[in-house]
Amino acid sequence: MMGKTNGADAATGAMAGTGVPAVPLVVDRVAKSYEVDGKIVPVIGDLSLSLNKGEIVSIVGPSGCGKTTLLNTLCGLLVPDSGHIRWYGREITGQPQNVGYMLQKDLLLPWRTALSNVMLGLEIRGVAASEAVDRSRVMLDQLGLHGFADHYPSTLSGGMRQRVALARTLVNEPRVLLLDEPFASLDFQNKLLIENDTAKLVREGGRSLLLITHDIEEAVSLADRVIVLSKRPTRVKAVYDIELGADRTDMMATRDNRDFSNYVRRIWADLDVVLQ
Amino acid sequence: MTADTENGIKSAIAQPPGPPSRQRWRKFRAVAVVLATQATLLALLLGFWEQMTASDKQAAFMFGSPSAIFRFLGQMARDGSLWRDTYVTGLETLLGFVIGNLFGTLIGLSLWYSRFVSRVVEPFVIALGSIPIIALAPIIIIWFGTGLTSKVAMSTLSVVIVALVTSYKGAIGVDPDQINLMRTLGASKFQIFRKLVVPASLTDIFAGLKLTVGFALIGAIVGEFMSSSEGLGHAIFKAGSLYIIPKVFAALVATIALALLLTFVVGRIERLLMPWRQIR
Repeated sequence: MMGKTNGADAATGAMAGTGVPAVPLVVDRVAKSYEVDGKIVPVIGDLSLSLNKGEIVSIVGPSGCGKTTLLNTLCGLLVPDSGHIRWYGREITGQPQNVGYMLQKDLLLPWRTALSNVMLGLEIRGVAASEAVDRSRVMLDQLGLHGFADHYPSTLSGGMRQRVALARTLVNEPRVLLLDEPFASLDFQNKLLIENDTAKLVREGGRSLLLITHDIEEAVSLADRVIVLSKRPTRVKAVYDIELGADRTDMMATRDNRDFSNYVRRIWADLDVVLQ
Repeated sequence: MTADTENGIKSAIAQPPGPPSRQRWRKFRAVAVVLATQATLLALLLGFWEQMTASDKQAAFMFGSPSAIFRFLGQMARDGSLWRDTYVTGLETLLGFVIGNLFGTLIGLSLWYSRFVSRVVEPFVIALGSIPIIALAPIIIIWFGTGLTSKVAMSTLSVVIVALVTSYKGAIGVDPDQINLMRTLGASKFQIFRKLVVPASLTDIFAGLKLTVGFALIGAIVGEFMSSSEGLGHAIFKAGSLYIIPKVFAALVATIALALLLTFVVGRIERLLMPWRQIR
């Protein structure tokens, strides 16, 4: 709880103090290892990256390269062994505020309806019930779930459940989103639709998005920048600035762009999948 | 939202096969077949029993017969002892069931709060759980007397450890990713407990409740065996010592009816408290 308050103060303080908005997220030479059977296994080794305001950054890497460890470290669920994580210019203990977190598993609570799942974060922060209901309904409507507010998760399809999870993340109006393979379990059609909506909601809201994925096409079509990670111990292997035209909210159009497959091929080569 | 997306989502909802009326009929028929089979099995068993004891006086004395059991049930119902005994045992069982589950579940769930405390407590719980409650009956009678209290105590003790273990298992079985999600949403430990751990444990808690209906009843009946002046256990014990076998069975029938009633009520409460599990 303390950490959260610190985080909020740090964010607003940095913005008010200097007049220049601080970079939402800076990862500075972070390392993290686990102890397995008495042996130290380095997972993240000397990793640096940053996420700017309004920017979408995708992180791709070979499987098992510690992407999820990285995300949990960013969220304050794990403490790095060395290095610094700065949210809006300040280091925080505990969970950063105004950061939304979403995984491949939708993690919807089966005893709550779609609406009440979306309300969870607002409820936790003590937002008045009527306001929480209104905001959550608007969010569900925006994600095309009008009329499904009172459905239990068990009666929704995988794509719809993931939309509810996205609504649950966005309704808190996070300035930064951390998504860990959020659409990996969806079929292609649903994936494209929800990617479109995500891109639109993130870009229109001026939010920043860090997307961890192993789907290179998803990484390229959504992001302004793709960061390729190495095998463990993980560090940044390559960075690509993705330039695919002005409108980046239409995933089909983006995929039709001539440079799209070019980016995909180069990143694929970087991943060294065959030689691994 | 574009019309495209809307359509995509609408078409993604699974449609149940066939019209609802036909589905309901199919469901009804499945239930009816099960019920008919159960009734047939029961009738066969009773018929065989009646047949074997009808011609053999010794067998009738040793095993009773369905018709004799039925006669005793009628007699006990007329003189009021059936209702009185069932009420007494029912009350003891219900009190023991509620108190045991309340305390067991509260302790089991709250152990989630502290890994340290749960580690300290674990061997004690296992030790207590391994004591046959029947062995405690004489002491319980000395401590709580021969009235209602001692039976409720027996019943409570039979229930509490099971309730504790099942609810604790439910609480620590919560998906760690789900807990992380709550933390990233800014939930305090108490909020995680109340909004996630407790409802997530309900499935296990109700499994425990169904299991402990029987245990609560055993506790009450064993308590009555030891020392009592009324109750179904008392009736069974008395009829048994007088070699009135059909009356023992008659009291057993009432006991079974009591267990079925309690299990039914627990099932109803479960459906009421967990409506999301009905919809599939």
